[in-house]
Amino acid sequence: MKSNELVIIGGGAGGLAAAIEAAKLGVETTVIDENVKPGGQIYRQLEEGFQIHSLRALGRDYTRGSRLLNEFDVIRSKIKYLNNTVVWGLFPENELVYQHSGRSESLRYRKLIIASGAYDRPVAFPGWTLPGVLTAGGAQRLVKTQRVLPGEMILLAGTGPLQLVLANQIINAGGNIVAVLEAGTIIDSWFKLLRSLWGQWDLLMDGLSYIFNIRKAKVPLLLNHIILEAHGEEEVKEAVVARVDKDWRPIPGTERTLDVDTICIGYGLVPSAEITQLGKCEHQYSPRLGGWVPKRQENLETSVPGIYAIGDGSGVEGSKAAIAEGRIAGIDAAHTLGYLSASDSRKRKEPFEKQLKKYRRFRKVMDKISEPRPGLFELAKEDTIICRCEEITLGDVDEAIARGGREINEIKRMTRAGMGRCQGRMCGPFLVERIRRTVGLQEIPGPGHLNPRPPLKPIKLGSMTTVD
Amino acid sequence: MTTYRIEKGVTPGQQFEIEVDKNKIVAFEGETVATALMASGRRTFGHTTKKGHPRGVFCGIGLCHNCLMTIDGIHNTRACQVLATPGCRVETQKCVENLNEVK
Repeated sequence: MKSNELVIIGGGAGGLAAAIEAAKLGVETTVIDENVKPGGQIYRQLEEGFQIHSLRALGRDYTRGSRLLNEFDVIRSKIKYLNNTVVWGLFPENELVYQHSGRSESLRYRKLIIASGAYDRPVAFPGWTLPGVLTAGGAQRLVKTQRVLPGEMILLAGTGPLQLVLANQIINAGGNIVAVLEAGTIIDSWFKLLRSLWGQWDLLMDGLSYIFNIRKAKVPLLLNHIILEAHGEEEVKEAVVARVDKDWRPIPGTERTLDVDTICIGYGLVPSAEITQLGKCEHQYSPRLGGWVPKRQENLETSVPGIYAIGDGSGVEGSKAAIAEGRIAGIDAAHTLGYLSASDSRKRKEPFEKQLKKYRRFRKVMDKISEPRPGLFELAKEDTIICRCEEITLGDVDEAIARGGREINEIKRMTRAGMGRCQGRMCGPFLVERIRRTVGLQEIPGPGHLNPRPPLKPIKLGSMTTVD
Repeated sequence: MTTYRIEKGVTPGQQFEIEVDKNKIVAFEGETVATALMASGRRTFGHTTKKGHPRGVFCGIGLCHNCLMTIDGIHNTRACQVLATPGCRVETQKCVENLNEVK
């Protein structure tokens, strides 16, 4: 079995930054990436075949991302970059198994940095399984790198700055947005936000220019509004929306129906913690950071020695924080592998730790505005599908809770929710909240999250036989 | 016909055809099967096995498995993750209810 000094899972913002720092210091570094090209979700590059005339058409994130990607390109010859590769298992004695072009292979690592990223919070509401309802991240990928509009009459429903980014991308692409619904209020917290952003002019300018463009395109930006239901037989035809109070509960009498064919859902992100969970790292539940996140020490190492967790996968804090964390973990791994002294490591990490503090200050204010409120978990009705794979309804889940189910894995065994192909990625975050809110639990009984099993993602059965 | 493809500022790759349930649709190099389908105006990629509910692209990044189709003979393939290739064959998967209708 091949042995590697440092393996990094994930080729997004955090993973690339970690690889750059470690490789600069001479560490033998391998990056395993599920995608075709480095960049992850936020810095996703265009597929082969497309040509863009102006980088600006793709937005500021793309320009920012290209700086990191250039940095990665410079040192790429010293890094082993495995694209199109899915990590599907972690086993004892630092063994990691992955599948690439239909074959599975395994390797051993001395240090492992997990940069698994995050995905859009799945929000269950009546009609959310209809074709035409898609996540904001999915819509963003279609518009930004696949150059196709998700529909003709688009409604954006969600919270936070990512919505404004998506709205701008659709407007720039010539798409028609019916309205942008923001569940929270941007204006209330404007002064707090300004204060926390002091000095981060680029972020501040981004935010202002996004809002300006939305206004210029005459797209209604409805604050304190939420999506209640999607209607349609085979596809989305209508959306019912309403004004909400500060808990995001609809105010009776404010409901109205909009003609739309597409609804993009963007109520923040949840961390992809499957790999750290599989790696037996200890986790804690943090609603502010998006859900279950690995516990980490100051050097970003998890409770399992030698395994680091960085970026949105360890708590949603945005791409700039992910890059800073990646650099810190890359340097720290190099130090523990003997490539630089403790004092040199400290010196090298210091500027990034300072940056990280700054970004976190900003995040805290954003989180206060965007953290999901109770109303978001009360949209589903008895016959609303919760587990999209196994087609389990809220009624099924509630019945299991009424029969005494208190821990998410009990609910899974009682209902089959979370047993499907997505391994609970779509229903898990809702189930945790539903149990907590129904039973009024202060502390979540352990383990409290679904236990992902290998293979983490569907692989060809035959490919397992190729492992040494 | 509505154009879903964004033309502003982009030169698309090579154009070719793919086969979807025996019909031909246009695709461009670099597009996923899901993109080519959506660009052709199709939103429903299949129906669920138990309840026969329509489903299409939901997460769009390979996690939710709602866009499963049979692509080049391989069942349960995520249409959002597979790049379209000239002449590739895409088939809608039948739910149990529909299977009974197939003679």
